[in-house]
Amino acid sequence: MNTSSLRRLHLPLTPDEARTLKAGDLVLLEGEAVATVGMPTQKRMVAEVEAGREMPLPMRGGAFFHMGVCYDEENGRPTRMHYVNPTTSSRFNALMPTLIRGLGLTALGGKGGLSRESVEAMREVGCIYFSFVGGASALLSQGVEKVVDVAWTDLIMQFRLNQIRLSGFGPVTVAIDAHGESIYERIMVSAQARLPDILETLRRPSQS
Amino acid sequence: MAITYDLVKEVTADLYNWSLRRIPESSKAKLREAVATETVPHARETLALMLASAETAETTGRFLCSDAGVPSYTIKIGSRVRMEGDIRQAIVDGFEHLVETIQPPIMRFVTHPLTNERSFKGKDMPLVSYDLLGDVDYMDITCAPKALGGGRWAAIETLVSPSLEDIERCILEMVMRAGGQHCPPVVIGVGIGGTFDHAAKLSKDATLRPFGTRHPDPMVADMEERLTRAVNQTGFGPMGCGGTTTTFGVHIDYASGHGFTPIAVSFNCWINRRTRAKIYNSGVVERIE
Repeated sequence: MNTSSLRRLHLPLTPDEARTLKAGDLVLLEGEAVATVGMPTQKRMVAEVEAGREMPLPMRGGAFFHMGVCYDEENGRPTRMHYVNPTTSSRFNALMPTLIRGLGLTALGGKGGLSRESVEAMREVGCIYFSFVGGASALLSQGVEKVVDVAWTDLIMQFRLNQIRLSGFGPVTVAIDAHGESIYERIMVSAQARLPDILETLRRPSQS
Repeated sequence: MAITYDLVKEVTADLYNWSLRRIPESSKAKLREAVATETVPHARETLALMLASAETAETTGRFLCSDAGVPSYTIKIGSRVRMEGDIRQAIVDGFEHLVETIQPPIMRFVTHPLTNERSFKGKDMPLVSYDLLGDVDYMDITCAPKALGGGRWAAIETLVSPSLEDIERCILEMVMRAGGQHCPPVVIGVGIGGTFDHAAKLSKDATLRPFGTRHPDPMVADMEERLTRAVNQTGFGPMGCGGTTTTFGVHIDYASGHGFTPIAVSFNCWINRRTRAKIYNSGVVERIE
């Protein structure tokens, strides 16, 4: 795919920048984001937000990805970055509205999308969600320059808060925009509407 | 001559290592086909990106996915096979050695189900199922690591004296529940009949069949074709972002049972990690996938 014509977004976005994007846009990412795949991590984040404490890394108004990061480390500091890849965001549905509002997040990323409660929080705050192609680690990892910083090193590597620097990361799809439009929701509604017809067609014998 | 502890340790570790860096040939062929047949432009681009990434992983030795999954093996043992040493332990030790030496490193995914504690070891790890083959002198080993994205949507439902229509509706309901969450285009394995555990095993084994193969029973082959078309009419598409390519194939198998009919459905994501080799009594290793 020729990616040279794609729009490049520099993270973190401002809420106004986030609102210029619409569901379905294909973009490349630059700048910085914090990534984790940890359930305990995000529960701890919610507890911190609810207690009114700041995160150990710069996350306010930032980009937060559901993505695993693997790297070498020396004395608890990241050295060489090995690879990244997204995880399923929907399993964190219950935690995300608090994090989106509490940290004023302007960009999220992962795969599988988020529920309506998160979509509403994103609309309020000015936040978009990127779909990363799962299983495309070999290409996506080329768009990560380095692991800048890590926090909560008591957790296993992919559960920590891993701050990464991106350069031409993607292409990624804006799958939920800041205006309440979610590709996932639209497709699920449409699939359910088609189901009676699909079941009807299924009963007909195969032509081949 | 016999199949030794050392050989099984080495081969099972190699199979896992290879599976992380290369998608099966029949998956690659399906991706190429789908890039040409997918009607939604955005989905075509996603499929092209998948294919390019798989090719990059293969030529550079990079991993396909950051989630290396948990090691899972299906081993079929010929009745003329002779074994030397503790073969079960060989698989455990092979995985332990791999974890210590593999580059790039893999992360901790083996999870204690009651505490959520993660490590590289655990009860029953690697997960292995053993079957008997007929009168042959080899062991047929398939490695298919299972990761969270695909693993969590597997489901089983037990119906009583269902009609074919009931069964197919049940399968589609499970497909709808998974939606586009499992990194489609997926392979869908369906096991029908037998008992609860047997149907689950049939479903898992059905996911391991290469694309392009048909069930020998024409009635089942016909179900496979109709259900494949039906799943692709849902429109979930690549990565659940819309399109006509949600599955590369529904693979079905069945067993006779009683009037209660378990229906098991499981999924493997598009990278469909799977490697396979035969080890002969002579010590010869034949790589199949």
